[in-house]
Amino acid sequence: MSVLSGKELRIVGFLCNWCSYGGADTAGTARATQPTDLRIIRVPCSGRVNPLFVLKALMNGADGVLVSGCHPRDCHYSAGNFYARRRLEILKEFLPIVGIDPARFEYTWVSASEGQRWKEVVTSFTERIHRLGPAPKWADVTPRYDMPFSAPEKRLEPIRPLGCGANPSLPELREAIKKALAEGLEGVLGWKPGFDALHTEPVFMQTPEEVDQLVWGPFNVHNLANFLPQYKGRKIGVVVKGCDSKGVIELLAEKLIEKDDVTIFGMGCNGTVDLNRVLEKMPEGVAIENVNCSGNTIRVTAAGREYTVSMQDAAQDKCRQCTNPNAVLSDVFVGPRVTEPMAPADGRSGALRFLDDLPLEERMGFWKGQMERCISCHACRSACPMCVCRDHCVSDARDPAWLTKEDDVVQKLFFQLIHAQHLAGRCTGCGECQRACPMGIPVFALKQQFGRKIKQIFGYGAGMDVNGVPPLLAYQVEEPNIKEHELS
Amino acid sequence: MKIGVFVCHCGSNIEATVDTAEVARIALTYPDVAHAEDSMYTCSEPGQDNIVDAIKKYGLDGVVVASCSPRMHEQTFRRTVERAGLNRYMFEMANIREHVSWIGKDREANTNKAAELVRLAVEKLRRDAPLHSRKFDVTKRVLVIGGGVAGIQAALDCADGGIDVVMVERESTIGGKMAKLDKTFPTVDCSSCVLSPKMVDVAQHPKIKLYAYSEVESISGFVGNFTVTIRKKTAYVDWEKCTGCGACTEKCPARHSPDAFNECVGETTAINIPFPQAIPKKAVIDPRFCRKLTTGKCGICAKVCPSGAINYEMKDEIVTEQVGAVVAATGYDLMDWTIMGEYGGGRFPDVITSLQYERMLSANGPTAGHVKRPSDGREPRVVAFIQCVGSRDRSIDRPYCSGFCCMYTAKQAILTRDHMPESRSFVFYMDIRAPGKMYDEFTRRAVEEYGVQYVRGRVSAIQPIQRADGSLGYILRAADTLLGEPVEVEADLVVLAVGIEGAHGAGELAEKLRISYDKYGFFMERHVKLAPVETNTAGVYLAGVCQGAKDIPASVAQGSAAAAKVLSLFSRDKLENDPQIAQVDIKRCVGCGKCIDVCPYGAIKKIDFRGQPKAEVVETVCQGCGVCNATCPQGAIQVSHFTDNQILAEVNALCQF
Repeated sequence: MSVLSGKELRIVGFLCNWCSYGGADTAGTARATQPTDLRIIRVPCSGRVNPLFVLKALMNGADGVLVSGCHPRDCHYSAGNFYARRRLEILKEFLPIVGIDPARFEYTWVSASEGQRWKEVVTSFTERIHRLGPAPKWADVTPRYDMPFSAPEKRLEPIRPLGCGANPSLPELREAIKKALAEGLEGVLGWKPGFDALHTEPVFMQTPEEVDQLVWGPFNVHNLANFLPQYKGRKIGVVVKGCDSKGVIELLAEKLIEKDDVTIFGMGCNGTVDLNRVLEKMPEGVAIENVNCSGNTIRVTAAGREYTVSMQDAAQDKCRQCTNPNAVLSDVFVGPRVTEPMAPADGRSGALRFLDDLPLEERMGFWKGQMERCISCHACRSACPMCVCRDHCVSDARDPAWLTKEDDVVQKLFFQLIHAQHLAGRCTGCGECQRACPMGIPVFALKQQFGRKIKQIFGYGAGMDVNGVPPLLAYQVEEPNIKEHELS
Repeated sequence: MKIGVFVCHCGSNIEATVDTAEVARIALTYPDVAHAEDSMYTCSEPGQDNIVDAIKKYGLDGVVVASCSPRMHEQTFRRTVERAGLNRYMFEMANIREHVSWIGKDREANTNKAAELVRLAVEKLRRDAPLHSRKFDVTKRVLVIGGGVAGIQAALDCADGGIDVVMVERESTIGGKMAKLDKTFPTVDCSSCVLSPKMVDVAQHPKIKLYAYSEVESISGFVGNFTVTIRKKTAYVDWEKCTGCGACTEKCPARHSPDAFNECVGETTAINIPFPQAIPKKAVIDPRFCRKLTTGKCGICAKVCPSGAINYEMKDEIVTEQVGAVVAATGYDLMDWTIMGEYGGGRFPDVITSLQYERMLSANGPTAGHVKRPSDGREPRVVAFIQCVGSRDRSIDRPYCSGFCCMYTAKQAILTRDHMPESRSFVFYMDIRAPGKMYDEFTRRAVEEYGVQYVRGRVSAIQPIQRADGSLGYILRAADTLLGEPVEVEADLVVLAVGIEGAHGAGELAEKLRISYDKYGFFMERHVKLAPVETNTAGVYLAGVCQGAKDIPASVAQGSAAAAKVLSLFSRDKLENDPQIAQVDIKRCVGCGKCIDVCPYGAIKKIDFRGQPKAEVVETVCQGCGVCNATCPQGAIQVSHFTDNQILAEVNALCQF
């Protein structure tokens, strides 16, 4: 359906049935003249408005979206608008990262008696959208394929010394696991050597022989917390790096696993590598013969040639910013704790820093270019320890049908938005989504955008406290850091 | 699916600015639309009959009416389609009057917008499913919270209607604020003479169970089936044995407890019966002042009590009651006027509240009905009344009118003259609000027959002065806004008509009841005009000032109204729920429990389904807000009639790149 060309822009409103829809009725009854652009979708409560509806409209070409509910404390359902306030505020903060002008989205409160206020809201929001003009359409945006942030000289300075030398405490860790197995654990998740010396793979160790295969080092990239929910109800252990432990904590906080079932084995971590940064030094497809790590240098022998990479060069971005090198929560911690850095992390990957400096429209171009490369393998989803839906992901469902099956950048990006939105306030920043991506698409930046906004507004970081509640699953009657927005 | 679309002219209300025939023509191009027409008055009897006929003639299985707001006529048309044999939920409305024709005159834009709104309704209807209500049993007992005049009226009306009533009163006696009043306007009849018989009725009614000195601890359940736990506070007196003889209060040596019933005018004993007509007439020990409980030495009341009712070891007791409906009648409290420095902020002994003055005027009050200045016990010659202290004052965020102060101030001024014929009274007012029956006449009597001097203007300052005889006087400075001159009055006693707010603790109770409340502690009615007694929680009703300022007749009327609501609710043996509520797709649910965490009603519970945790909606508790729906990452929980797919279809219809 098209808008009246030259006259109207596409503005979608989600109005709660009890207050704002009634307010719009009151304005009508009072014959309060308003611009004609707005199309109102009636919902029971502003709390019913999944932020993804707003994203859906904006991604599909809406020029503006307005959500209006009952004033705080006046919710017909007592608390629906409190949830809405948090979720919509965070959504508004999120939008710029995908290149959508946050001014195109607004949320406000109008009661059933406030016909005059409704008129003012519609008029000023419509005027605002007309000032902004038609929203750029994804079809018209020029994709960009460059990823200058991934160049070696653009890498983040680590806030703590990184290293890749052997950890002398590994035998002690193995002994501790063997002891725990003997005392009744069914198995312990860890890493064992993979198909070549650069790769490790997850292992569920059940015998002492399997425990002897356990490795520890810069190639232990997988976050094994990912596997815990499928062992729910069984007594198992898991070996964790600092970042992995946050995943375990978040799973515990969300009661997706039980503390009594999980024994956490921790050891200090000196950083892990982004394998692409190692592999890019050598010809594609070359067979790895040997890897030798010492200090912070990785020496790879492949096809008879030795390649040297420093941890400075090869470490994952998340490790450079890591403030939790030791398990935040562990039952058994082996070896000395790594000194935790004093320098504050700004929590931005290279991609996020890069995007912050781009104009909005170029951000759209960036994501369009990136998502053109997406092969929809959903490895990002499979690697995510907080993706609890597993086989019931909405992106595959017919009811609800959030995505079409079109091979199209908007659908692919929308999948990433769903993932990011579902993780808002729950993502522990392990970056597995991005590491697992075979196309090297920096999808982690989307989660980080939510993460830093939630940190700013609610002071909450996921995965630090087993009693923590993700902010979007909670509310406060007075939100000290959320201000009402001006509509003009 | 076959959908019929009916585009209403609403006379000229819509047709004047929307081409309804064109909208109907466009609607015919929408998917599944089998019939579309415009009609003059769709809601009229022929209009409705026309829909019924069309459903039969074209074999329609869903109907869209494009007319006024669904808040106006959704129920009407649901019944219409039901009459034709369709499920009532196979119906959608497009609001092309309030949201289109009435807000602009651009016929082209309006017609286009109306057609789009019809498209949204069609897309939603295509994804509608028939819904059916569930029936459930009702516990025909009602909980009345608060034993003021509104609660008393609600309780008596319910009980007379044959319903068992559980009344919970926080204080040790029922009666509320009205019991503290000396006389009532506009008849100047004795307040307790009117109220006491009703209080006695409550005590003696076989259908009413009274928990005085008790508070509601928690409420769970839903309309028809609430479980209430009540905390019976420690009185240190076994009320089963106490006869209310008062021997203990006569002998109690701790005689300096603040007298709450008398608004702290004067003092009372640590063991106390608030007033002679108290219901129940039972003693309560204030443990903060009782010598036995503070120092361990005394025990005189236990010695003198003829029935052995005193028990210093007593503890709070929790009891549970099952009820099917709740009437909240918790009344009000005066705001904290001492924040207002211009009236001395509580530092001047002879600046008192109107309720304190009321106690002084009352024959059973601390001064036995003699007006005495707190500072020196002398009778005042000049009494100044200041109205709107904490009402209609934006500077302290009290924008509202407290409603009844104009009237009681006039009453108190009249009574002052009755008690002290030589005295003079001044009333400083902003406007006189006397809209009730015989009210304006009453305020005129104060001026014309009793010589009360009304000065229109706010008092900007009260300044105490030491008079030659050593007594205190008070200079009131104000602007007379009618004469446009400053005025000064020297008064002996200043009575403040202090503004009201919701009773203290109202917010906490509202949270327990899951009803909304405003920032002043007043409970929110379900609809300002059309549902002033209901709340947004089914089965919870409001009576009296807890909902907003009102005088005694209005409180009594609302008490009766709440009782009528309860009786009509209980006139059915089974209740039906609204089926527009959340439903769990058990195949998709992974049992993560996020819906349970966010549900404002506690309407979702975790169940074990073949060894897997799953969410289940308690259908009678769910109100259909959809917070769970917006939370569930799998989309496994969906609000019927507002499913993700329905809203997405509307979004997709509007936004296509």
